[in-house]
Amino acid sequence: MIFAKVVGTVVSTQKDQNLNGKKLLLCKEVDHRGNPLGTYHVAVDAVQAGEGCFVLLSYGSSARMTEITKNAPIDAVIMAIIDDLQITHTLQGRQ
Amino acid sequence: MKLGIVIGVVWATKKTAELKGCRLSIVQPVSSDMKENDLPLVAADPLNLATGGDTVVYVTSTDATQAFDSGFAPVNASIVELVERID
Repeated sequence: MIFAKVVGTVVSTQKDQNLNGKKLLLCKEVDHRGNPLGTYHVAVDAVQAGEGCFVLLSYGSSARMTEITKNAPIDAVIMAIIDDLQITHTLQGRQ
Repeated sequence: MKLGIVIGVVWATKKTAELKGCRLSIVQPVSSDMKENDLPLVAADPLNLATGGDTVVYVTSTDATQAFDSGFAPVNASIVELVERID
């Protein structure tokens, strides 16, 4: 899974019938601190995310493993909205 | 399967039904000599094995879904083992 920020909605009327009723969101990949990494994904929204949300995005064949995206021709899905994250340990502290 | 160290946790109340009750940990991938070698990633922990600071074995790609009993979850990485020691 990767961290992403929702930056927009993708609107389309002519599409594969397995995509009907699915919201497509434009997401920019970020690191765990929220800094943009320069890549983007168009992802199906499985959790009612909105613009500006900090989300977790699953990609590849795993993206089809939700009730909403089963058997659909997609390769990215938003599967969680991040409330908060905490870094509690560092590698330096261990050595 | 790769070695990693759990360095944090992600809280998400809104997530897909497949991930209900599953902890999401931030894992720092490490090399065999425990030096960090990639950006941290988020891994599901369906067995609730690890807490912060633990060394774990994680799987990525489609295989990560097999860590769930159902074999059906939208994850790219899963923690499957808690490492006690490496001899």
